[in-house]
Amino acid sequence: MTDVAYEIEHLVKIYPNQTEPATNDVSLDIRTGEVFGILGDNGAGKTTLVRQMVNLLRSTSGEIRLFGRPVSEHPLHVSRSVAFMPQSSGALNRLQVGEAIYFAAHLRGMTRRDARRERDAMIETWHLGKVRDKSSSRLSGGQQRLLQLALAMAGRLPVAVLDEPTNDLDPVNRKHVWEVLRKFNAEYGTTILFITHDAIEAERIVHRVGIMRQGRFLVTGQPAQLKRELLDHMRLEVWLAPGEPPVFPPDIPQHWKSDDNVVLSVPRDRAPALLSELRLHESVDYRLYSATLEDLYLHYATTD
Amino acid sequence: MAAQFVDLWLMQLSNWRWSWRAMVVTGIFAPMMSIVALGAFAHGRGQEALTYVLTGSILLSLMFENQNKVAQNFAFMKAMGTLDFLGTLPVRRYMVILATVLAFFVLSAPALVITLLLGSTLLGVSLSASWLVLVVVPLCVLPLAGIGAVIGVVSRTQEESSSFTLLVTMLLLFFGPVIIPASQLPGWLLTISHVSPTTYAASALRQVLVGPVTGRLWIDLLVLAGLTGVSLWFAGSRMQWKAN
Repeated sequence: MTDVAYEIEHLVKIYPNQTEPATNDVSLDIRTGEVFGILGDNGAGKTTLVRQMVNLLRSTSGEIRLFGRPVSEHPLHVSRSVAFMPQSSGALNRLQVGEAIYFAAHLRGMTRRDARRERDAMIETWHLGKVRDKSSSRLSGGQQRLLQLALAMAGRLPVAVLDEPTNDLDPVNRKHVWEVLRKFNAEYGTTILFITHDAIEAERIVHRVGIMRQGRFLVTGQPAQLKRELLDHMRLEVWLAPGEPPVFPPDIPQHWKSDDNVVLSVPRDRAPALLSELRLHESVDYRLYSATLEDLYLHYATTD
Repeated sequence: MAAQFVDLWLMQLSNWRWSWRAMVVTGIFAPMMSIVALGAFAHGRGQEALTYVLTGSILLSLMFENQNKVAQNFAFMKAMGTLDFLGTLPVRRYMVILATVLAFFVLSAPALVITLLLGSTLLGVSLSASWLVLVVVPLCVLPLAGIGAVIGVVSRTQEESSSFTLLVTMLLLFFGPVIIPASQLPGWLLTISHVSPTTYAASALRQVLVGPVTGRLWIDLLVLAGLTGVSLWFAGSRMQWKAN
């Protein structure tokens, strides 16, 4: 196995009847054994990129190589090496949970006996024991997401590509998913590439991260390295209550997560003054801390 | 390859464990309605007309339970992302098509047998089943299921697939000597019917279920085998794992 799992060179994807590229001259290497996170706003081209990587979408130009072999010429090499978890969660939804995992493992080449063992292990790993004999269509959104993860990881392929693995999950399950993925990476050396909007949580396991916008990677690198750019800024998260909300200086970048929750990227030297202002509003809750991966994402995603 | 086929076939059968009873009921109901309604008109028109009603209704059952269900199933698998998921596994797309077709054939068998027995009793048509029925019935099903797979694969939505299958069912059933004897159809319709698989399927069914078996059967089987190959090949070629 080579040191580089995926090599992507000048990848362009223009959908039929469109003029704007969905992926625009993307070049990227994913190293073997690496955990790589892709962040980006909606429509940034993240899903289009990974679907080309798993051979579900034809590229307009450019090349993707998996362990040195072009994916477009070696579809079986891709399906024998890469597990994919799509964003939608209805793939095998008429089967029982246990059956679906068994078939996924067996179709990936495990013997019947190993596939049965894998099914049991995946059910335990992903906390699906209580719904093992349930039809997958009757699971909650969160349980379906865990099943999709179990289906993707069954068979222990060397690479896993996961499209928003923590969508629909509660905080406890989100934490569990990151822990399990970290374990797969550490124990089996699984190369993991995932798309996520949970930038803060993903920071726990990623080795490198890439931020996409308008079909391109704006930046790739280790989170700690990239965050150095934001060393002179602090993250101020404010929760507002009804009443007289504070007015923030317009020159400070603001990202409204909801109507009553805003994140500000505050220059360190201006933080004390801003905190003094906030203290005047008793109904306002706030938290000030060092920049996170999410701040990095917001910094790049909102800066022209 | 064999293990892969068995897995895919079992997956399809398992998918339908929740609703196979309803499938049997609907698979019997539509053709029995046709037998009762058309049988009432055919009673005064001789044994040939009754035989056409019986075998035509059997074919209707096979179309509902195979062509239409296969089309719906592929449209459903597309909509739910099942085909995408299978596309990321080391699975051959022709295996998916063949396993699906076989699964629906097995699921349609109870309705077929019940319709045949009830229909022949109601219409007073005596059966003289030949062992050739074991060859003819699968060869009647395969091109229909293949057409269903093509419809399901090329349709953009489940609704589009449903509309197409209804249209194709009506065309295949009524544009040829399937349920109405050839002697009672206009010449232009008989000319058109030469391109319809149901013409050959109905002819083959009549010969092996009621008799007599003639040399025409081999022509029917040859055409059905050819249409099977063409329809399944076309379905496979249109079902690309990789989207544009």
